[in-house]
Amino acid sequence: MTSIFRFAAAVTAIVFVAACGPKEKSVKIAVAVPLTGDMGTEGQGLRRAVEMAVEEANAAKRFPYKLVAAPYDDRADPKEAVNVANLIISDPRVVAVIGHYNSGSAIPAAKVYARAPVAMVSPAATNPEVTAQQNSKDWFGPRMVFRVVPTDDVQGSYAATFAYTRLGLRRMTLLHDKTPYGQGLAEQFQKTFLRLSGKIVSEDGISVGDKDFKALLTKIKSDVSKPQGIYFGGLYTEAGLLLKQMRELGLNDPFVFISGDGAKTSGIFDVAGDSADGAYLSIVGVPVEELPSAKAFVDSYKKRWTGSGEELKPFDHFGYEAAQVIFAAMERAGSPDRVKVIAELKKTKYTGVLGTTTFDDKGDTLNKIVTMTRAHAQDHTFPSVK
Amino acid sequence: MLIQQLVNALTLGAIYSLIALGYTLVYGILAMINFAHSEVLMLGAFMALGLAALLPAIFGTGVVGLVGMFILSMAGAGVINVLVERFAYRPLRHISRLAPLISAIGVSIILQNGVFLWISTQSLRFPEPVAIGQVPVFGATISTLQITILAAALILMGLLHFFVERTKLGKAMRACSDDIQTAGLMGINPDYIIALTFFIGGALGGAAGVLYGMNYGSIKYNLGFLPGAKAFTAAVLGGIGNIRGAVLGGFILGILEVLASGYIPNGAQWRDVIAFTVLIIVLLVRPSGLLGEKIAEKV
Amino acid sequence: MLRWRWTPWTALALAAAFPFLAATLDAQYLVRVGGVIGLFMILGLGLNFTLGYVGLFDLGFIAFYAIGAYTTAIAMRAGVPALLALGLAMVVTLAVRALLGLTILRLRGDYLAVVTMGFGEIARLTINNLDAFTNGPKGLQLAPWRPLNFLSDDPNIQYYLLILLAVAAGVVAAKRLENSRVGRAWVAIREDEIAARLSGIPVRHYKLLAFTISAAYAGLAGGLFAQWEQFVTPESFVFWESILVVSIVVLGGMGSIAGVLLGALVLVGFPPLMQWKLSADWINYRYLFFGLILVLVTLFRPQGILPSSRREAELTS
Repeated sequence: MTSIFRFAAAVTAIVFVAACGPKEKSVKIAVAVPLTGDMGTEGQGLRRAVEMAVEEANAAKRFPYKLVAAPYDDRADPKEAVNVANLIISDPRVVAVIGHYNSGSAIPAAKVYARAPVAMVSPAATNPEVTAQQNSKDWFGPRMVFRVVPTDDVQGSYAATFAYTRLGLRRMTLLHDKTPYGQGLAEQFQKTFLRLSGKIVSEDGISVGDKDFKALLTKIKSDVSKPQGIYFGGLYTEAGLLLKQMRELGLNDPFVFISGDGAKTSGIFDVAGDSADGAYLSIVGVPVEELPSAKAFVDSYKKRWTGSGEELKPFDHFGYEAAQVIFAAMERAGSPDRVKVIAELKKTKYTGVLGTTTFDDKGDTLNKIVTMTRAHAQDHTFPSVK
Repeated sequence: MLIQQLVNALTLGAIYSLIALGYTLVYGILAMINFAHSEVLMLGAFMALGLAALLPAIFGTGVVGLVGMFILSMAGAGVINVLVERFAYRPLRHISRLAPLISAIGVSIILQNGVFLWISTQSLRFPEPVAIGQVPVFGATISTLQITILAAALILMGLLHFFVERTKLGKAMRACSDDIQTAGLMGINPDYIIALTFFIGGALGGAAGVLYGMNYGSIKYNLGFLPGAKAFTAAVLGGIGNIRGAVLGGFILGILEVLASGYIPNGAQWRDVIAFTVLIIVLLVRPSGLLGEKIAEKV
Repeated sequence: MLRWRWTPWTALALAAAFPFLAATLDAQYLVRVGGVIGLFMILGLGLNFTLGYVGLFDLGFIAFYAIGAYTTAIAMRAGVPALLALGLAMVVTLAVRALLGLTILRLRGDYLAVVTMGFGEIARLTINNLDAFTNGPKGLQLAPWRPLNFLSDDPNIQYYLLILLAVAAGVVAAKRLENSRVGRAWVAIREDEIAARLSGIPVRHYKLLAFTISAAYAGLAGGLFAQWEQFVTPESFVFWESILVVSIVVLGGMGSIAGVLLGALVLVGFPPLMQWKLSADWINYRYLFFGLILVLVTLFRPQGILPSSRREAELTS
């Protein structure tokens, strides 16, 4: 039995040594994202973006109290996300939540926030159900889910129109990563492309974490119906690997690669190197070079986080924008009151790094401007396609 | 297309085989699943990345630098594997069969999170050690990289075969694998042989990590898990504990995956389902794997 | 000895009273965490039949949790009443498990482990790919089921109590089986299969029985999980969760009911506890510490935190 006690002592020591942090009175914005696990990369990016927004707000003395970005780790696991949501609503100092990253976590967690109620602004979960569930008769609580990231339909159909009319493509191959985000983009692309009387030659789902797509790409290359390009719904790691292996197999220009904003990040150059050159990647919002606020964000992000060697991740600007939208609502509400902030969030009309954000009655952003950019490997930029 | 796919399958299979060897060597002696092997693979890749930045100053670029990077990363991965064995498995060796497995899972979590917290949370670009060229062969495009990977893997397998079959230490390893207690009575120090086995297994895992990084061009803290799990499956498919079986299993798995995603319409998303189904069928027909010896009933 | 006999009932009474005290203790979060721990206690009790009693190594147990959750979700969406859906989940998992057992149980040791791991992945990928039935990666929503509204309107409290009830029922059932003819046969098989066969125990039959019974627990836990969250997605049923359940059983003490309960308490409770107590600077270290705990507990208590008394008795006598 003694070893049980020795062990218990060791555990307690670990927890308490680590648990001693400063505990001053302040107002919290919860950042509920995956900070560890396979999605930790993207979650840490979101955390950095929100922390930066909070630091800026504190430096500019926008609020009469100290604002804190409180990080919570959901590990992109739905069960842990609901745990975290319960922890967040039990802390009265939390005014609003930025999260969750994946739709599988955002949907059940939103049900918990609704009971509090506390506003949840998602920077990355794109499954329509995240907001649509508020219209269900089973929804318990007020409408308090907002989303600064547009749902999949916007980007997918824009890319299809772009491919058909601007690039003159008629035969495309569809790939997606079997996540709500990737599959959603691909389904919308397919719908629009078929309506335009284009042809989808083949469709394949891959898994997140897969590295070897050579067999699949070889199949596409030798397809008798000669696809003219790939539309990929997914994130930059898989997009980068696809690009790299495409080029290794000799699938070069004019064979095109089109994808969405989940792939548009400098991380794609870390994965694909020069092979990323020429990839078409759509983004939501007006192009960075036409929007000074967006450029300012990119510059200050680089300045703030350069030392840690961390680059901008694909959803970071949504995280930053979510924070700004909440700050604006808090300012209008006049006090850090959860219910007042929800009411003010509904009236949001905020112009920032994404252009102008307003919400429809479900809480989805009405900012549906999509811009097509093209990766430029030499200087790691994404100039917009004019 | 067939030749192209064959090369794709062989490259993939070669990497799986190298990883599978690490599992099978350890299993052969201790009958334990070294769950942390996938992290050793990942650490091998990260060490190579670190060395790639340091080494050109010492060896210069080119083949000498490449081989130097390779050997040092392998040695490093081997040493990590030995340390893991010493501190996390050895105290449990005679106590329970499953305890080392749990300890291994813990080590695996620690190593992965350690890299995530202290090295990098994002994908890092893996340098291209040799300029990649395309060689057209019978209408297929084969990159020099694929050839390099295949060659390196085959050389390492050859060396392992020579070591196990032809050297005195290899004989001691085989003796321990047969019966560790009797081997101990014959004057072989089992602790030493076990450490050696972990070193070789780790080194092969490290080599696989470097090849993995070279092949896919970028590395990340969680890269080990998937190939680790698949290679373990491959080792079982071939007959766990059997060195030739691990190599065979690795190549078969590579071929299966390529067949599934390269020839079946919409096959990519069913690839792992197909691979695992084949595994189950094979094991039902041959319960000890393809090359595994039939285990005598314990009496 | 009277004191020890009453321990489980005291524990049960305390556990049942806890959610009603949580509000005054400012610990409502722990009610949610307690419910999740309870789900893994049920899973652990289930796997204990397979791994603890007959020593069959199963690395894909979470597949049955998933099948239970999806059966409940699909049934309830089709209008089946909630309780019936739970029953259905248990029946379906039992049937699938029995079929799987009939095909693969002749495999031994780690070969069985890999095949079950494979089955776990096959189940998850199939759920993710069969969009027509499961809505694929987008998941399924469920209407709320709140049978204990008369006690509290907080769903966490309701499900905490429901799960506690299931844990208690699971423990009683396991205890009964353990002390029956069947339980003794299982121990005999685990200790020496051939001796057991020679003593006239139908080994295959009893192995299959233990393997199958496991699934009812997983199906029940999955069904309760789906009803509590009102949402199921394939993301919940990854390989890692299977490993977690194996760790609960091995670390708690194979074949020991109290050990499994304690194992779930420690392993499932620790990460959310850290979420609560660690400061912002340390939150990223949660799983590093978790790994450390796994290694340390194993090194300190290689037989498990509370090894089965029967096993201990066997070792000392």
